[in-house]
Amino acid sequence: MDELNDNVTVEDQEEYVEEIPGVITTTSMAINDFLKKTKAQDVINWGRKNSLWFMTQPMGCCGVEMIATGCAHYDTDRFGIIPRNSPRHADVMIISGYVTRKYLPALQKLWGQMAAPKWVICMGDCSISGGPFYESYSTVQNIDKMFPIDVFIPGCPPRPEALLQGFLELQKKIMAKKDHGTDY
Amino acid sequence: MDAKSIIDSLVNKFQDSLTDAKVDSDIRISAYLEPEMIKDVCQYLKDELAFDHLSSETAIDYPKRNEIVVVYHIASYNHPVLLTIKVKLPRDAPEIESIVPVYWNANWYERETYELFGVKFNNHPDLRQLVLPEELLGDWPLRKDYEGFPNRTARNLV
Repeated sequence: MDELNDNVTVEDQEEYVEEIPGVITTTSMAINDFLKKTKAQDVINWGRKNSLWFMTQPMGCCGVEMIATGCAHYDTDRFGIIPRNSPRHADVMIISGYVTRKYLPALQKLWGQMAAPKWVICMGDCSISGGPFYESYSTVQNIDKMFPIDVFIPGCPPRPEALLQGFLELQKKIMAKKDHGTDY
Repeated sequence: MDAKSIIDSLVNKFQDSLTDAKVDSDIRISAYLEPEMIKDVCQYLKDELAFDHLSSETAIDYPKRNEIVVVYHIASYNHPVLLTIKVKLPRDAPEIESIVPVYWNANWYERETYELFGVKFNNHPDLRQLVLPEELLGDWPLRKDYEGFPNRTARNLV
């Protein structure tokens, strides 16, 4: 036993797991990685796709359509889509407008506050390519390089039905394990 | 009080510093002014001629003439005349006295003119950027020789 401890350095000791006969010790990350390879992930994804709570964070005129989608008329609750006011409750961030150079740090802060798993939806021409503010000095271009965007919804602004379809496409992506919210 | 009597009163009072004063129509008058007199003229307009409303304050960039022109639109609630004052400043170091002590609402106009054109307003109570992020200060985006526009960093998605 003494001989074994002499060989183990300080760095190795953190990863060194004492073996107990008949007991398998593991970590939660290892369990996650194992589950991703099994059918259990399908059940987890089924639960996740049916509770896509999005953050009420309007950034422009598309934000009005986003709020209208969350209202009673479209009844998004039947898909498990509920607007939330806090980034810590939300699963989906909708970039619903042009991103200025002044707003980008705030947007990244909100994105960092959201708990994983989380997804991004790009709503409207402004967030996709800049819209009428294309080539402006204060607009950030190539927003898809800064956030892992799953769904692009073109339109100026897209109707609430289009946003709903975007959510349904995101649900299909999650079920097909093709989304960017989880590392497979 | 009509446009003719207002411009006569102005020219009589500030005949050394006012140039090209003219009556454009019944309700529009305009004049060019020397930079150091702007606060005195505004005080006189407000006290004597009932110009109690500063409508706008902005600037125009003229790279070929090497000057930046600061434009003041001053109106009144008592008579229908609107006065346009233009002040020529050198383009490499534009500096002018702030008129915030006379018209308090010039505060944000001057901050915006400062961040977009780089015109420095002396004795302004709080001269910093209004809307632009801090790292853009010093680029002066609305000057004609600004190189950040058009911004062609976007990838071609097609």
